[in-house]
Amino acid sequence: MPNLRDIKRRIKSVKNTQQITKAMKLVSASKLRKAQEAIMSARPYALKLMDVLHHLSARCNHDVHPLLDNRDGKRWLILLVTADRGLCGGFNGNITKKAIQVINDNSDKEIQLITAGKKGHASFKNKENKILHDHSGWTRDFDYLKAAEIGSTLSALFSEKSIDRVYVLYNEFKSVMQQEVILEQLLPIVPEKLVAGKESMSSVDYIYEPEEEAILNTLLERYMTVEVYRAFLESSASEHGARMTAMDSATRNAGEMIGGLTLTYNKARQAYITKELIEIVNGAEALKA
Amino acid sequence: MAENKLQLSIVTPERFVLNEDVDQVNVPGVEGDLGILYDHAPILTTIRAGRFSYELLGEKGRETIQMIVSGGYLEVTDNRVIVLAEAVEFLDEVDNDRARASLAKAEEALAKTDLSDDEFAEAQDRLFRAIARLEPTQMD
Repeated sequence: MPNLRDIKRRIKSVKNTQQITKAMKLVSASKLRKAQEAIMSARPYALKLMDVLHHLSARCNHDVHPLLDNRDGKRWLILLVTADRGLCGGFNGNITKKAIQVINDNSDKEIQLITAGKKGHASFKNKENKILHDHSGWTRDFDYLKAAEIGSTLSALFSEKSIDRVYVLYNEFKSVMQQEVILEQLLPIVPEKLVAGKESMSSVDYIYEPEEEAILNTLLERYMTVEVYRAFLESSASEHGARMTAMDSATRNAGEMIGGLTLTYNKARQAYITKELIEIVNGAEALKA
Repeated sequence: MAENKLQLSIVTPERFVLNEDVDQVNVPGVEGDLGILYDHAPILTTIRAGRFSYELLGEKGRETIQMIVSGGYLEVTDNRVIVLAEAVEFLDEVDNDRARASLAKAEEALAKTDLSDDEFAEAQDRLFRAIARLEPTQMD
């Protein structure tokens, strides 16, 4: 029969854990709401920017801009967006797994990484792939300026031809319960992706100020930044969603465990009382006799 | 009265600022300021940092709402005006001290002679923004 005091101690410790997971769940829920709002308000901008890009790129020569240069090189760069903190289910694991898979599938390429988030950095710092930059700690107060910084670093690396292709790997926010790991090509920007759909728009005769190419140039750089920004926002919303779900089930599991332990505790207590009673009765009988 | 109005929407990466029917939009374009009225020809332009305003013709007369934009794009089609701005501040949100400090910094940077083109463009941009922020308060 387990010791009564031990069980009691155990229940107390599980209760503490449950309290923590419950608090984390609530915190994640409120952060999730904020992150969700951020991504929702970022989407119209991204969509409109895409619109403008669509009809501009339909009129311009695609070979002009360095960011559109589609060359066959073997130096790839992956921007890996993970979380800074754990305890969010498979969130970080899934993305790291996917990164390793991509690296293994393309073993003939030289793949370098830029990591954002401590977890991604920790999983790759001892591997052979070179980490160019590390933006650990950036996911918490991420804003447009930081996205611009990463965006311009990426375009600079690409324009000076030290990198031939840039991908971004992140968790896309599908719903609170669901995230999907997405690998997206950032550079070179694929013109087909820009032109797809939207033929009707290009028929409108616009006045351009300054001329088309100049606008396209600035627009492409901004497009990069917006894509990076969006990837980070998606990732942060997914992270909070994943953590909320993970903490919710942890809280439930702790509850089940407490139930089980309480039952054992009560049984043990009952047995103890019964044993004591029998001893007393036996003692009294012995005295009488 | 919804006829002869421009539908103005302003979006930034961080928020959807506004969607409203207006009568006139004044924009600081890179190649000069633009006033957009009803039935304007389709246009696509880059805008510089500066003062942006739109006007409403109400029963009480003309009402002008001003704000500061820091660069972006403007598109006009079919009387829909779309402003894609990097950032937007309404006039009452402007922090004067910060603007003044940034103006001083920009002037200091521009006074140097050994600037690269990029540095120059950045300093100039900063100067435009600072001036745009300070202008209205000096006029009051």
